[in-house]
Amino acid sequence: MIVAENVFKRYRLDHGVGDWVLKDANFKIPRGVNVGLVGKNGAGKSTLLRMIAGVDEPTRGSITRDCSVSWPMGIGSGLQGSLTGRQNMRFVARIYDRADDMDEIAAFLEDFSELGKALDEPVKTYSTGMRARLQFGLSLAFRFDVYISDEMTAVGDKPFRQKAKAEFKKMVDRGSLIMVSHGERTLKDFCEAGILLHEGKAYWFDKLSDALKEYHKGIGIAAKRRKAVR
Amino acid sequence: MASRRTPLQVTLSVWKALLLREALTRLFSQRASWFWLVAEPMAHIAIMSVLFTVIRQRTVGNMDAELWLVLGLTGFFLFRRAAIQGGAGISSNRSLFVYRQITPVDAVLVRSVIELLVMVLVMIIAFTALLMFGIDITPYDPIGAVVAFLGLWFLGVGFGLILSVAAELVPELGSVIKMMMRPVYLLSGVIIPLSAIPEPYRSYLMYNPVSNGLEAMRAAFSEFYHEVPSTSLSYVYICALFMIVVGLMGHRVFRREIIAK
Repeated sequence: MIVAENVFKRYRLDHGVGDWVLKDANFKIPRGVNVGLVGKNGAGKSTLLRMIAGVDEPTRGSITRDCSVSWPMGIGSGLQGSLTGRQNMRFVARIYDRADDMDEIAAFLEDFSELGKALDEPVKTYSTGMRARLQFGLSLAFRFDVYISDEMTAVGDKPFRQKAKAEFKKMVDRGSLIMVSHGERTLKDFCEAGILLHEGKAYWFDKLSDALKEYHKGIGIAAKRRKAVR
Repeated sequence: MASRRTPLQVTLSVWKALLLREALTRLFSQRASWFWLVAEPMAHIAIMSVLFTVIRQRTVGNMDAELWLVLGLTGFFLFRRAAIQGGAGISSNRSLFVYRQITPVDAVLVRSVIELLVMVLVMIIAFTALLMFGIDITPYDPIGAVVAFLGLWFLGVGFGLILSVAAELVPELGSVIKMMMRPVYLLSGVIIPLSAIPEPYRSYLMYNPVSNGLEAMRAAFSEFYHEVPSTSLSYVYICALFMIVVGLMGHRVFRREIIAK
């Protein structure tokens, strides 16, 4: 269960304090529900993910978690380019105090990522898709209650996406997913529920399709408004 | 995850992981970077020693000029490298802050430890070289020497902590502080004996804690070395403690701004 209460968030910019990105956002994410975050660019989706993952803090309000949450997997984040995939894996394993299970983690990662020999090459030589495989494999190897993904699944190729999905189905009652993606297919593939972020507020929908419908409606209204101005 | 770890356990495992990772990147990020890591300060020491002893003088304040120089340079490098590397610790480890276990303070502190290890290695090599030239390197007060050496390191840690926060909040400030490091090299009595500088200027220069640390280290090596009379090791530690506290407070107060960049 993840509870967000009266979450306000704004950033300090070079020329003073920025606008509110989130303004009194409230929601509850129950255990075991896969949630997709929907909203325009700059609506605060990545910001919210970072705060759910505990990397950043709300300016006001609180987010409480009673479960283990993965780091926010995003393109190119959390990997050191000059180190190999395997060295990165060892690093993460040490942070999570799992150095004793290194062989087990390595075996899972090798199997899941299918990177083969590339696993012993520096990460900076990887393609975006390969990085996604490495990050996803890494986080799955650690068995979190909730996985957080920021546009990660979109970059993988089709076999990889299917594999990731199958892996999530397999652990349906012990791991859930909170994700941001602009690919609606991906969202529908992975998630049941949705959160729509609009003008700093968060709206919870039990069905993702409702969230998407509302989101499109918002875009429709905005387009109409633009037309009217013209 | 099985059971919740205590904050201390988390921090310790983060430090261990970061230490190994930083060591790997420092040693192998470029071709033979492990060689340059030690060769660069050694070359500096060698050139300075030749210049000093061949052209100028054989002793400084009753101490072999070579030993005087090696102590000054290694001690100063220890301070400067801990400060500069620690100060850059946040910007070069930014990608790691997606793991909420890792805080910016961890990155800065671990980097300072790496520099300490490197400088201990450099010192061992430099001392071995001095031994081979037949110079007596037996310290008169070994514990005092270690305390002075560590004092310089703590100064570097404190400076690095402050620099890392300052450079994140006001990038210009970072460049200005780095620029200030150059005159500090000349004004700390690394290559210019401070005891030869007339009053009242010498007293002004002794407000610099690095000068005090270097003089204390030299005094600990030779019973007959004429250090600057006002040399105080407690002053070094008070300054270091003050800077470390201010640096840690800065990290605490500005943690959101640092992470959010």
